[in-house]
Amino acid sequence: MTAEYHVPDTALEVREIHKSFGGVQALKGVSFSILKGEVVGLLGDNGAGKSTLVRCISGVHPQDDGEIVINGQVVDIKSPQDARDQGIETVFQDLAVIPNFDVSKNLFLNREILSSNPILKFFGWLNHKEMNRQSEIALKRLNSRIPSFSEEIKNLSGGQRQAVSIARAVNWGADIVIMDEPTAALGVEQAAQVNNLIKLISSQGISVLLISHNIQHVMEVCHRAVVLRHGRAAANVLIEDITPDDLVGIITGAKRAA
Amino acid sequence: MLGINKFKKIMVSTAITAGFSGAIFSSVLAGPLETIDLSKSPVGPNGNAAQSADEISLTSDEVAAVKEKKYKAALVWHASGDWVNAVTEGAKTKFEELDIEVVATTDAQFDSARQASDVENVLALNPDIILTLVVDPVSGGAAFKPAVDKGTELVLLSNPIAGYKPNSEYTGIVTDDMYGMGVAAAEMMSDGIGGEGEIGFIYHDASYFITNNRDNAFRTAIQEKHGDIKIVSEKGFTEEGQTFELASAMVLQNPGLKGIYVAWDVAAEGVIEALRAQGRGDVKVITHDLGQNNALDMIKQGNMYGTVADRPYEIGQAMAMLGVYGLLDKESPAFSVVGYDKVTKENLATTWEKSLRRPIPKKLSEALK
Amino acid sequence: MTLLSETRSTVFHKILNREYFVYYALILVIAFFAVVLADTAFLSTPNFMNIIRQTTPITVMAVGMTFALAVGHIDLSVGSVVALSALVCSLLVDVVPWPVAVFAGLCAGMLVGLINGVLTEWLKVSSLLITLGSMGVISGIARVITNLESIPVTNDTFTFVFGSGSLGPISVMFIWTLLALVLGWVFLSKTRFGSHLLAVGGNPTASRALGINVIKVKITAMVIAGGAAAIAGMLYAGRLHGARYSLGEADLLTVIAAVAIGGTSLFGGRASVAGAVVGSWLMGVINNGLILWGFSTNEQIIARGLILIVAVAIGVKEDRK
Repeated sequence: MTAEYHVPDTALEVREIHKSFGGVQALKGVSFSILKGEVVGLLGDNGAGKSTLVRCISGVHPQDDGEIVINGQVVDIKSPQDARDQGIETVFQDLAVIPNFDVSKNLFLNREILSSNPILKFFGWLNHKEMNRQSEIALKRLNSRIPSFSEEIKNLSGGQRQAVSIARAVNWGADIVIMDEPTAALGVEQAAQVNNLIKLISSQGISVLLISHNIQHVMEVCHRAVVLRHGRAAANVLIEDITPDDLVGIITGAKRAA
Repeated sequence: MLGINKFKKIMVSTAITAGFSGAIFSSVLAGPLETIDLSKSPVGPNGNAAQSADEISLTSDEVAAVKEKKYKAALVWHASGDWVNAVTEGAKTKFEELDIEVVATTDAQFDSARQASDVENVLALNPDIILTLVVDPVSGGAAFKPAVDKGTELVLLSNPIAGYKPNSEYTGIVTDDMYGMGVAAAEMMSDGIGGEGEIGFIYHDASYFITNNRDNAFRTAIQEKHGDIKIVSEKGFTEEGQTFELASAMVLQNPGLKGIYVAWDVAAEGVIEALRAQGRGDVKVITHDLGQNNALDMIKQGNMYGTVADRPYEIGQAMAMLGVYGLLDKESPAFSVVGYDKVTKENLATTWEKSLRRPIPKKLSEALK
Repeated sequence: MTLLSETRSTVFHKILNREYFVYYALILVIAFFAVVLADTAFLSTPNFMNIIRQTTPITVMAVGMTFALAVGHIDLSVGSVVALSALVCSLLVDVVPWPVAVFAGLCAGMLVGLINGVLTEWLKVSSLLITLGSMGVISGIARVITNLESIPVTNDTFTFVFGSGSLGPISVMFIWTLLALVLGWVFLSKTRFGSHLLAVGGNPTASRALGINVIKVKITAMVIAGGAAAIAGMLYAGRLHGARYSLGEADLLTVIAAVAIGGTSLFGGRASVAGAVVGSWLMGVINNGLILWGFSTNEQIIARGLILIVAVAIGVKEDRK
């Protein structure tokens, strides 16, 4: 059923992922892959297993069975830190930013740059200057509309906050960014900003796994769509080969993948 | 607990044999449930025998001399309430007569650190006299040191300060006649229950100079002077709110009780509540101090038979005059006591006014009619 | 036009920012008392040194409480920890070398903080309830271990270092205040750990997702609050040359009011050590001024409660933005 991709520039591949919670089988052998710089939409109805799959890849709930392959290597992801070490970053729907922190502090949270003075470094003394400098570069790289690295997050719009989350993922050197409904909480204009940002990072060679309910957004930014249904990959299609209506049909089960 | 009490007793006897030579922590040592020698007058913290506060007085020449100087005084109390107000009133009235301005009144709410701050704060107003009830006799030495260093005349209410001496760091101590009050309470108990029978004893189970002395004097007086009355149950409390449960348990365990002694007025409210709840209108309650709720019960001939009221207003007046003694470098009596009154329904109205120096509350006067 | 009004509103916003509120309040209150108490020694160096001396234990507790509030906790047990550590230290200080006694007092406070923190995480109950319980337990212990008696302290070195001493006109209490201010500020604003504290308080879910050990950070904050309260307790013992079970009992409201008015959110994520220190001074100045003006303690309690309400009102307004 599932198409097997194994081309040299594959960034991430998942093979036959199984995951159960108690007696419930959430994932019954899901396989697909993402190329470098590719944006893959992960779709499916509620309960189809999207969130579970994302949690397996990002290390929140390790899978029961199956393999995760990154750059051709089978990797063992048991915790969010393992995922991060493999270059996988996750951007959450609920705006995982610290409202009272400025942009720079958010970008470097838990990856702070410490003072080069060994004594100060021992006490965890922060090098705000260097973090601000790098933040400025990171924001420029994303052409973002964020006014300044010193602006507090709570003064930013939802789209700008999500941009900070994405910038953080990219800034931490992610090769693969998983985005869980990044536009769900946003208005039309804000969502468009985030979509543009996704296209931008994709053009910079970063792979994106985009979980979304919004067919229009998927059609707009994704190269390919993977549809989950009852814990299995029901389709894996190129966006240019499918119409929105057909995609909806596959999600709801009204249609089968061609 | 037992070990500590025993230790205290040893310390007390050592201190007595040493003639209170050191006698620094005597107030700490005066614990609950001690037998005391009623034949002696109460002894001050530095071993000074008690004198009547009536002996404190100023000549007209002295009054005139003081009036000229326009001295200032501050009242640094431990707490607030009716009783403290009456002391303040007494002191203020006397100070007014002497053209001494009261520049500050503070209330430490039983917090020794707060009292230390209060002392520092009022010193900014440069008072010549400070009247105080020290919250903590042990740490009071450090707390009041700035005042002593400044040469302020310190007059103490009841509690001594460790390491301080009369006519030196402070002028003198004024307090209740605690033994007298305890003995009087025993007499009223005897009156209330007809001279014989079983009674309960609810005492203040913390180291506190006044309450310990009053409780111990009552207990000793019952044992020594009222042979037909027997204390069959003794229970201690540390918070006023505990007396309801203590009294309930006491009458259940000892249905033959004819009376209960309890350390002071507010604590007695819980006892009366308990007796009412159990329908024991026959058990008489004896306590110390005056309070509206219990006075009403007394008027209505409920459980409250009588109380022993001290005279806070007179304490205030005596303290004010002792402050002036200090200013005049006149030898102060080290330890003075004011009198007390046995209060029953018959003399409630007059003693209320005599003790607290304010008219009896309307509710009470109406009930008395 | 639009540009102009926008600029003005941001300027106003910056001036009225609650971060600065406590400084204005302090200046205003001092100015007010300076006028009404012109004929007293209110506006004098010794009086201000008095205020510092009295306020330092509150200041130290407030700095500790700032850490607890930063992670979204609150520590109601600080007052009882004050009594416990003061008693532990006082009981030991004349028996063992004084630094050992101080260490024991500090450990007592940090242990309480550790227990508070661990229980809160383990039982997944609000720290408000846990510390309400531990407040009762500890104040009970403080009563039991001393049988309600005061414990005198006669060690001169200890009392000098912990509050009674002075270097020229400067009370050692002032040095303790500076120490609390500098250490607290550096720790919270300049280090990675401080940044994590605020992150955890601001958005625990996000912090966890970003790999911060939220539980560890929260427990550490409670340990700091307990340790600070322990130091405050020993400062009381040093200043009063003795300790008593009732020490610190009345301090909780003052501490919370000082921290809240200083710009620290009662719900986590925003904290200011300098604000807490200035907030405690504000409480001290009001206390001192009201006494010199002839008001009683009851009015002071009212003033404290009002300040807390004002602080919370401003804070909530800010949080809703």
